[in-house]
Amino acid sequence: MPRWPLIASAAVVLGALSGAAAYQHVAPRQDERNGEWQEIAWPFPRDGWPAGKAFRCGAAACGSEVEVYVRPKIGFCNCDRGVADDDEVDRVADLDLMSERFAPLAPGDVIRIADMPGRVRAYDLNMSDALRHSAVGVAVSRRCDLLVAVAHGRGEASEVRRAALTFLARSEMTRWAMAAMEGR
Amino acid sequence: MSGRLKLAALFSIFFLAGSGIACAQQQVIGAPPEALNMKLVGTNDLQARSGYQPTIHHQGDRWIAYIGHHGGSDDIPAPVNPQTGKAEPNGTSIVDVTDPSQPKYLRHLPGQEGKYESGGAQMVRICDGKALPKGDRNAVYMLRTFGGEAHEIWNVADPANPVLITRIAGLKDTHKNWWECDTGIAFLVSGAPDWRTRRMTQIYDLSDPAHPQKIRDFGLPGQEPGSTGAVPTELHGPISTGPSGNRVYFGYGTNKGGFLQIVDREKLLNGPKEPTPDNLRLPEISRMPMSAMNGAHTTFPMPGMPIAEFARDKDGKNRDIVMIVDEAILNECNEPRQMVWFADVTVENRPMMISSYTVPEASGSFCERGGRFGSHSSNESMAPVFYKKMAFIAFFNAGVRALDIRDPYHPTEVGYFIPAITAATDKRCVKIGEQDRCKVAIQTNNVETDERGYVYIVDRANTGLHILELTGPARAVAGLR
Repeated sequence: MPRWPLIASAAVVLGALSGAAAYQHVAPRQDERNGEWQEIAWPFPRDGWPAGKAFRCGAAACGSEVEVYVRPKIGFCNCDRGVADDDEVDRVADLDLMSERFAPLAPGDVIRIADMPGRVRAYDLNMSDALRHSAVGVAVSRRCDLLVAVAHGRGEASEVRRAALTFLARSEMTRWAMAAMEGR
Repeated sequence: MSGRLKLAALFSIFFLAGSGIACAQQQVIGAPPEALNMKLVGTNDLQARSGYQPTIHHQGDRWIAYIGHHGGSDDIPAPVNPQTGKAEPNGTSIVDVTDPSQPKYLRHLPGQEGKYESGGAQMVRICDGKALPKGDRNAVYMLRTFGGEAHEIWNVADPANPVLITRIAGLKDTHKNWWECDTGIAFLVSGAPDWRTRRMTQIYDLSDPAHPQKIRDFGLPGQEPGSTGAVPTELHGPISTGPSGNRVYFGYGTNKGGFLQIVDREKLLNGPKEPTPDNLRLPEISRMPMSAMNGAHTTFPMPGMPIAEFARDKDGKNRDIVMIVDEAILNECNEPRQMVWFADVTVENRPMMISSYTVPEASGSFCERGGRFGSHSSNESMAPVFYKKMAFIAFFNAGVRALDIRDPYHPTEVGYFIPAITAATDKRCVKIGEQDRCKVAIQTNNVETDERGYVYIVDRANTGLHILELTGPARAVAGLR
């Protein structure tokens, strides 16, 4: 009996297993490793950038329900200056996906996520449900590329910020962010 | 030969042939240019500086090309100018192209220090002093950007010895300006420090270039100082039809979220100037949004085009057309295709996209060649030789493409020219895992034409200037003999 069909089948199976393993390595898990955070479907219609990842943290764990939306934006003109000021956070941090109407609460701060420098800023978000939400916009850059995140919730902005930044600093999120910035 | 061996041989042939095809598309030094109905007349290496806007000016009995440059590269931040022996930050190249087969490099005028988009002097426009209402009749004025920090006006009456006249400084960015030579009105793409966007419009009266008079700041509601909420897409560049056409066509976005904004020029210049949302809305006639996946780099107006197919129609024989060119940004097709769009704006409050054009990727395996593939800009000369007949599109690694646009509902490619690479051509890289994977390919960035019918293209990857002319059927389209 010829052996080559067996060898070819084995190669296909091994390839599939190795692909699945690689995906597991890169993608943040939705299960217990994220604890109180659960991955949810990206809730926004397609725009100029590919969809990112969305996560929700329940009130029990985060004080009030908080959602975080995060994605890379590959190709950004401020290659040298990066996210230089708060106006840049206003422009790029995806707050407008939730509402065109938002107002900053205070000047932003310098941060680093996945070893990328940038800024974080808190906002009052005026949503279509006529309720006010707190939001936090995050933008960090590496060379000509951006990683942006926006978090929102009904609690105080400081709570939303603390929950979101703690989540984004988790090792699995950092690994995912680095992979996403490299197009993997 | 056994079945297994046959199969292995077949696979080997398939893979070898596949890689051979891919290699054949890679440009190599020494290979000839690729061309159809266009031929090379002359070249200049522009001191291996990255090219942006070329502007060709008929100056007395000479023809002078003024070429703006991006900043330097990581490898060579400030190339050496052989004329001075000094390393100079990229700025403006001034080249005598009176004999296009023998371009003579006259002068390099250094720009702002910095690399890529951050330095240099990308944009350049020229007006004769005798055309400007209050200009010195003996002067020729060059308006150029100085990196992101200033606009400058130089007297280039002696193009080898420019003299600085004035500066408009204190900006956070600049870009693709427009200057009306008959009125002196300039639409300067600037980053006013207090505006929430990197690029908006500052309108100046430069009819007396020595004494610039600010008219107003202009942008989209949400970009003005003190506003909150979403910040609209930044400006890329405007083109005005002057007092007679009374329209300014603004292109917003570069490769994403683009739109065309049609503005009443008279209301823009003479309306209330305080940058409130209402005052910013007042001169706007309409906007035409594009897909969020495309931007508007160039918005080139062609009002009153007769459409042959509509010639016997009682109404609508002539159409006002705007050609919109997107800018590709990412290397090796890592973004949605950026291309060329034609909009019918005859009914100004209901503009409509009517056609599009792109280079077929498979015609040159352009996604594999390296660097950017997609459109960047068009010629902007409105000289009769090509206006409303032909358009030339800079298409990065696909070179320049010549389009027959006499029927803008059905634009047709009639020629192209992809220059050969040289030892000066810079690499372009993409990340593969942790590593950079680099390729060398032509990156035709901008194109301009002159009244004689020559086509000038410049390369973003440092290959220099190529002066071209049409041949064969493409020449016939323009009515050239």
